This record gives sequence, structure tokens and C-alpha cells, in this order.
Amino acid sequence: MAASSTINNFLSFFLPTKPPQLPPLQTPPLQFNPVASSQSQKPSQPLIAQYEPPSSSSSELSSVICPSLAYANTLFFRSPYTVQVVVEEDEPEERLVNRFRREVLRAGVIQECRRRRYFENKQEEKKRKTREAAKRNRRRRPMLKPVAQKKLDVPATKKEEDEDN
Amino acid sequence: MAKPIPKMGSRKNGRIGSRKHTRKIPKGVIHVQASFNNTIVTVTDVQGRVISWSSAGTCGFKGTRRGTPFAAQTAAGSAIRTVTDQGMQRAEVMIKGPGLGRDAALRAIRRSGILLNFIRDVTPMPHNGCRSPKKRRV
Repeated sequence: MAASSTINNFLSFFLPTKPPQLPPLQTPPLQFNPVASSQSQKPSQPLIAQYEPPSSSSSELSSVICPSLAYANTLFFRSPYTVQVVVEEDEPEERLVNRFRREVLRAGVIQECRRRRYFENKQEEKKRKTREAAKRNRRRRPMLKPVAQKKLDVPATKKEEDEDN
Repeated sequence: MAKPIPKMGSRKNGRIGSRKHTRKIPKGVIHVQASFNNTIVTVTDVQGRVISWSSAGTCGFKGTRRGTPFAAQTAAGSAIRTVTDQGMQRAEVMIKGPGLGRDAALRAIRRSGILLNFIRDVTPMPHNGCRSPKKRRV
């Protein structure tokens, strides 16, 4: 079954089968900590702990203990990634590329990269946020007023021209 | 690994280090780093040890032409050619960075006939970390 998933890893995870290992109360910085893993199963993983795909009961438990675990409902691989596309057999090249491109667009990777390329001060940030908000709201509520005014203007002038003729 | 014990005579010939590099790896990872100015394609094994690499610059492109999708295509093709000779069948693709080389390299990899498991985007994303360089005033 083809599944394409987008993951945002926020926290280090812990095995639900090891209750004495309590996670720290404040959110620790994630991911690129070369702390030795406490598991013997996968010694090559440089991460603090690994999160396994939960059953329904343990997911409730884990979301209670560490709320951001509720986000991670998919397998956690060795390296963190933003977008993953699972390739089926015999998928045409164009379709695969388009699928990948669409996933990346949905995740906003390239936009984010371009934003972080150079520093933006508070002014720039405010401008960008208003632009994004306008774009988002425009998609949901198409602006009716200005368009209606233009329509009223145009037929009025046309009528005048017809009467003159 | 069945490596033949070198005889006394061959030891005198100097290094047999090149023998070590022909290891057959059926499964690997293809890393594509697509920046705005260049595309680098590195083929590693599953642990991350590099087998071979190629880039738009090593393929003979120079300057602004390195950043083009065609250059990315040739770089990917060249990297994969050396690796399929060593017998790699399945691969995962990890794409990093913005840049025009992303799609082109992916296309070339797909066309080369290597089986793909996953395609992942591993662009490093800071959670608001270091301050980026200042704006360019061109």
C-alpha cells in the first residue's frame, strides 16, 4: 500500500516498554545528539531513544507521558526526514517525480529554505506574515466587494454609450 | 569475506589496497545534495560509508552551468554507473537542499534502472537556530 508520510520530529523518544526511564520534564533539544543509545537492538543509532509504532493503548499512555509523542505515529528511521515517498514497483517515472514534488510542496521545504537563506529582520518577517495570511485568507474567502464595484461601473458606462449612439 | 591470502611475492609489489574497495553491496543509499550552484551525488552503503561520488563539477561543468538540472542529471548518471558495475540493485534516495537538481537527479536515478525503496527529503531544518548571513545588496 503506497503511503507517503510527512514527519516533524520534535522530541527524543523513549521505549514504552521501559517504564523506569522517565523523559525529562522540559523539552530537550532533539536529534543531533550523539548520545549513545540505550538499546542493544540497533547499536548504530546515535539517537537517545527510539519510538516504536504504538498500539492504541500505548499511544494514549505515551501521549499522556510525553504529549508531543502524539505527533509521531509512524516509524522513526535512522535519520530524520521531512518528506518520505514510498516507491511501488513499476511506477512510471513522471508520476513518481510528480508525487515527490507535490509532497515537498505540501511540506513547504523549498519555501522554508529560501526564507532561511538570508536573515530577515522583524520588518521583513511582519511583511512576509501578512502576505502569507492574505494568501491563505484569499483562498478561503474570495474578495467580492472590489469585483462587484467594477461590474457596476462597467455596465453604467456602457449604457451611457448606447444611449448616446 | 573470502579474501585470498597474499603470497610473499605480491606483498613486495606494494599496496593491494585497491582489492578492498571492490565490495559487493546489493543495497545502498544515494544522497543527492542539490544546492543552488551545484549538485553532488554520493552513493553510500546503508551504514553511511561512501562508495563513490560524483558532482556536476567533476562531470566537466563549470561555473553557472553546474547548477542546471542537466548537470545534475549527468552527475547522477555518472555516480550510478560506477555503482551498478559493483552490483547494487536496491537503493534509497535522500535529497537535500533546494536547487534545480532535485527533480533532474531523481529522474536520472529512476531511469538508470536501479530499484528504489524510498525517496526521502532530508533538508536540514533548524528549529530557529543560528542567525543566517545578512541579505545581499545586489
